[in-house]
Amino acid sequence: MQPCSREMQSLNSLFNSSSSSEIPIPQLQNHSQIQINNNNDAFHNDDFLKQMLSNLPPSSPWTLDPNNPKPLWDPNSDENVTFPNYEEQHNNLSSKFRNHQITDKSAAALMLLMPTAADSGLLHMPADFDSSQNDVVNASSLLQAGDGSVQALFNGFSGSLHGVAANQTHHFQPPQGQSFGGGSVSATNQAPASGAPAQPRQKVRARRGQATDPHSIAERLRRERIAERMKALQELVPNANKTDKASMLDEIIDYVKFLQVQVKVLSMSRLGGAAAVAPLVADMSSEGVSDCVQTNGSGGVHPRNPKTASSSNESLTMTEHQVAKLMEEDMGSAMQYLQGKGLCLMPISLATAISTATCHTRNPLINAANNNVNNGNGNHVVASNGDGPSSPGMSVNSIVKDANSASKS
Amino acid sequence: MRNLSSLKKEFLRKWIKGLRKYNSQKKNMNLLERKKAIKLSADLAMASTKDKTTLWRKALFANTSTKIDDEQDMSTTSSTPQKKVIRKNSTNSYPLRKRITGRRKILRRNHTKERVEASFIAMRLVKKRTRKLKSLLPGGKFMDDSCLVDETLDYIESLKAQVEVMRCLVTSSELFINQP
Repeated sequence: MQPCSREMQSLNSLFNSSSSSEIPIPQLQNHSQIQINNNNDAFHNDDFLKQMLSNLPPSSPWTLDPNNPKPLWDPNSDENVTFPNYEEQHNNLSSKFRNHQITDKSAAALMLLMPTAADSGLLHMPADFDSSQNDVVNASSLLQAGDGSVQALFNGFSGSLHGVAANQTHHFQPPQGQSFGGGSVSATNQAPASGAPAQPRQKVRARRGQATDPHSIAERLRRERIAERMKALQELVPNANKTDKASMLDEIIDYVKFLQVQVKVLSMSRLGGAAAVAPLVADMSSEGVSDCVQTNGSGGVHPRNPKTASSSNESLTMTEHQVAKLMEEDMGSAMQYLQGKGLCLMPISLATAISTATCHTRNPLINAANNNVNNGNGNHVVASNGDGPSSPGMSVNSIVKDANSASKS
Repeated sequence: MRNLSSLKKEFLRKWIKGLRKYNSQKKNMNLLERKKAIKLSADLAMASTKDKTTLWRKALFANTSTKIDDEQDMSTTSSTPQKKVIRKNSTNSYPLRKRITGRRKILRRNHTKERVEASFIAMRLVKKRTRKLKSLLPGGKFMDDSCLVDETLDYIESLKAQVEVMRCLVTSSELFINQP
C-alpha cells in the first residue's frame, strides 16, 4: 500500500495546500487502497493522475464485481470526518456504489449529488485558489478513460472541489451542477482514444506551484512581476489596504481619475483671477469622478459614503455639465442658473471659514457645485467639530444651502 | 519615493517656459483657450520631465502635438524637437503590439472550458478594470499588464507632482493678488 499512501499524500497536498479543511480524503484512501493494489510503480507527484488513468482501461479496478467482499465506500470507517451531514450523503453514495452497475445516468446523478454535498457547507476552502487548482478540475473533467464509471467518479470528485471553489462566491451553485452534469455526459460519450492527448495536458496541470511547461513558467514569472509592482503601487495610492486585485485596481483607477480632475480644475482656476471664481470641472464624466472627488477631497479622513454619493450623482453630473456649459459662454448666466437651483459658487477659503464658524448638521441634500468646488481643488476642508461620520464636504454644502436660503428670505 | 521635489522643480520650469510662449503669441484669449493653453503646456512639461522613455510620455507628446497642429498656435521652436521625438519613437509601438497579441493567444489556450467558474469571473472583473485603467492612461491601449502597472506608477507620481506645483502656484498667486 506504500504507493497508494504516497499518492494519497500527493492528493492531499494538491487539494489542501493553503487551508486546513477536511475533505473526505480518508474515505478515498480506503477506497483507493482497496482498488488500486496492482499498481506498484513508484508514484511521483506529477504522475499521479497519469498513473491513475493509465491503470483504468486495462485492469479496470473500478469495476465493481460482486465478488468483492469489501464495499467501496465504508460508511463505518473510523476515519470518518466529523461532518454529521455527510453521513447521509455518504450512505446514499455507498448504496449507489453497491448497485454495481453504474451507468452513465447514475453517474450523472452521482455527480450532481457530490456538488450538493459540497454545497451544504461542509468543505470550507479559501476562495483564492490558484488557477492551477481549477486546472486540476479541468483535467479531470476532460478525462477520457474507457470506463464510464471511473469517469463519473473522477468527475464527481473534482466536482466536489469545483463546488467548493464556487461555494465561496455563492453565485454559481445551480449552473455549476448543471454544467458539470453536461460535462460528464459529454465526456462519457467521447472516444477513449482521446485519452492519450489528455494525459500530457494533465501532466502540466496536476502540479501545483511547480511548472513543467515553459509557458506556465513564463506566466508565473509575469504574474509575480505584476504582483510586486502592485505592491509598490499600494504605497502610492491612499486607501490601498485591499488585498484583492480587483479592488486594488479600483482604487488605482479612482485615484488616477481624481488626480486628473485636480489638474484640470487647477488649470482652470488660474484663469480669471483666483479670488473671484472657483472653477468647475467641465468635461469629466460619470459618478466615479464625483465619488472619488468627494471622498478624496476630504483628505481621506472619512470613509466613503457611497449611498449618499450615488443618490445625488445623477444630479451632480447634470448640474456640473450645465454649469460648465454656461460658464463658457457667460459667467453671469452660470451664476443665475446656479442660484435658480439654490446653489452658488464660492471660493474655498470662504467655504472653509463658514464651515468652521458654524456647527454643521447632517443634511442629506448636497450642494453640487460647491461640493465639487471644495473637493476638486484639493484643499482640506477640515471639520472643526468631532462629528465623525459626516463628511465635511457635505456639511459645508448644507451650510451654504442654508446660508443661501437665509439670504434670499 | 523617487525625488519628488526635483521632479516638481523641473516641471515648474518647463511649464512656465511653455506658458510664456503662449502668452507672447496671443494676447487676448478667452476662458476656454486659456484653459487649453495651460493644460497643453502643463502636459508638455509633465511629459518632458525625467527620462523620456516611458510609454505614456510618448503618447502624451503625440496627443499634444496633434492638438498643437490643430490649433496652429505654437509655431515656435519648442514644438519641433518634440515632433522629432515623436516621429522617431512612433515605430516602437508596433512591435509592442505584436508581442501583446502573441501573448493573448497563449493565454486563450489554457482557458477553453468552464466559463462559469469563480476564478473566471474574478478574472473578468480584473480585465474590465485593467481596460478602464488603460483608457485612463495616455497611450494605455498599447500596454500589456506588467507594463501597465509600471506606467501607472510613473504617471501617478508625475500627476501628484503636477498637482502640488499647480496648487502652490494658485495659492501664491491668490496671496499676491490679495495683498495690495
